[in-house]
Amino acid sequence: MIRRIAPVLVLVGVIATLTPVIASSASMLDTSVVIAIYSLLALSVGITYGAAGILSVAQASFAALGAYITAVLSIRAGLSPWFCGAIAIALPAAFAYPFARLVTRLSPLALAIATLMFGYAFDIALREGGDLTGGYIGISGIPGIPLVGTSIRFHVLAWSIVALTVLGYKNLLDSHYGAALRTIRHDALRAAADGVSVDHLRSVALSLGAGVAGAGGWLYAHHITYIGPDSLNPTMSLSVLLMAVIGGSRSVLGPVVGAAGLTLIFKLIPSQETVGMFYGTALILCLLIAPNGIMGIRWFAQRASATARKSR
Amino acid sequence: MAEVFEYVFRGVLIGVTYGLLAYPISLLFVATGTVDLAIGGYAVLAGSVAASVHGWKGFAAAILVATIASSVVGGISTILSRRKGSDPLTIVLASFGFAVVLESVVLTAFGKDPFVRQPFSNFWNLLGVRVSPQAGINVAIGLIILAGVFFLLYRTPWGRSMRASSINPEGATLAGIPVRITRFSAFVLAGVFAGIAGILILYTSGLSFASGLHLTLTSLGAAILFGLGNPLRGFFGGIAIGIVEALSVGLAPQGLGTLLPYVFIFIVLCTGKISRAHIEGGRA
Repeated sequence: MIRRIAPVLVLVGVIATLTPVIASSASMLDTSVVIAIYSLLALSVGITYGAAGILSVAQASFAALGAYITAVLSIRAGLSPWFCGAIAIALPAAFAYPFARLVTRLSPLALAIATLMFGYAFDIALREGGDLTGGYIGISGIPGIPLVGTSIRFHVLAWSIVALTVLGYKNLLDSHYGAALRTIRHDALRAAADGVSVDHLRSVALSLGAGVAGAGGWLYAHHITYIGPDSLNPTMSLSVLLMAVIGGSRSVLGPVVGAAGLTLIFKLIPSQETVGMFYGTALILCLLIAPNGIMGIRWFAQRASATARKSR
Repeated sequence: MAEVFEYVFRGVLIGVTYGLLAYPISLLFVATGTVDLAIGGYAVLAGSVAASVHGWKGFAAAILVATIASSVVGGISTILSRRKGSDPLTIVLASFGFAVVLESVVLTAFGKDPFVRQPFSNFWNLLGVRVSPQAGINVAIGLIILAGVFFLLYRTPWGRSMRASSINPEGATLAGIPVRITRFSAFVLAGVFAGIAGILILYTSGLSFASGLHLTLTSLGAAILFGLGNPLRGFFGGIAIGIVEALSVGLAPQGLGTLLPYVFIFIVLCTGKISRAHIEGGRA
């Protein structure tokens, strides 16, 4: 039992300890909310890539889908942002499942390219969407969420959603679905022989990831109050992929650690043009040096084996 | 009808450059079993270098730079594939990261503005359609490289090693073929082709720092269309995709025109042969 809730306890503990410090300044609160949003996007990468082995280069597009849905519904239809939130999570998830059924039967390589293609086509669709998406200009003036008017409340809301996601994700991994996903990632043939419905389960994983990304997009839209084609673009897909990989895509808290670390580090990059160089180089270096990410390094296990060797 | 004919012609013109980029994609797939998503980035790099350095020196520098860039990815992929239980997806991910680096490098070094060169002012009149002599150059270079690739792959010892390392890496190693070096040389060759393609694109439709991913995806579609396993088919795949692109930009309503080629490539990808999941046999 304690194992199942350990990650979420660690997360809540850290955030609760830091909150008094963060709450003292408006800029830190803003950074904290941004980190929470990126954590959700990185967690969606963790679920699809880390757990199910689907390299999706389109997670930001699912987030953009959620953000545009909430923007259009809350401004044009005047619906409550809370209600819009439910749709911003449900619709990307509902859209991702048939999309996944179409692409997850492809080989892993073709699958990655198909998601890249989807992200790129989605980007064009947003720019050419006319009045619905606001074209290149995007949609501004998205209302705040009722009851969470202040920054500190938004901070609590954002991190609560992250905590809930972590809790659900850890429980999913520990369930028999998680075991089946691990088997699929390791050897799809074996999983099929065990009676696991491979295509269905991988599609569910992509769909869950899209839902989590949609939640991130919902928070993004109501936090920034603006959404445009450049907000959650394919480059953002790379950034969140990078966060998950650097943090450790196969561990539950890895994506959150990566999101926090990279957001803080990349605040220091001076010019917008060179961001790509940093992101790309960091990703390649991480793949070369620590392919399992920060949380994937077995800090204690290595030390333990070293002492074991000494004592022998 | 004449209009359609003109679009088809333009499609062939631009399609040849996609075909040129499709060679290295299938060559790398044949040799290493992965896809290099930075291919378009090499072409953009070469194109922007050729645009800023004049004359033959510019061409040489462009191809050299593209080759260096592709060798970097080749090196990274060699290190990554050395690892035990390495996943081809890691290499794809790394090449995607490198594509972003290249985009950022081109943006920083050469700026936001698109580059294009149109040296010809006299046009040929082919069946009532005005055609730039550049089209002739593109087709000629495309065919020369097609012949070159065929010769390299099927008539030289290097080509034999390449085919052997792709079909059965263990067997090739046992037969004394330096599999890793062969694979690395495929990356170098890919850089040369991408460099040439980049220069031709500069002189045909032009490019900007952001065209890299578009070029990669389009030429990937070209390579897959008639079978990724054979580099020679990519040329015709490129022409087919170029025609689809020109027709949809010309005839489809605004906005939909830029989207349609991707939908087409997406369908090609979902129905293509490489895409068949090997769950029944090969453990991917």
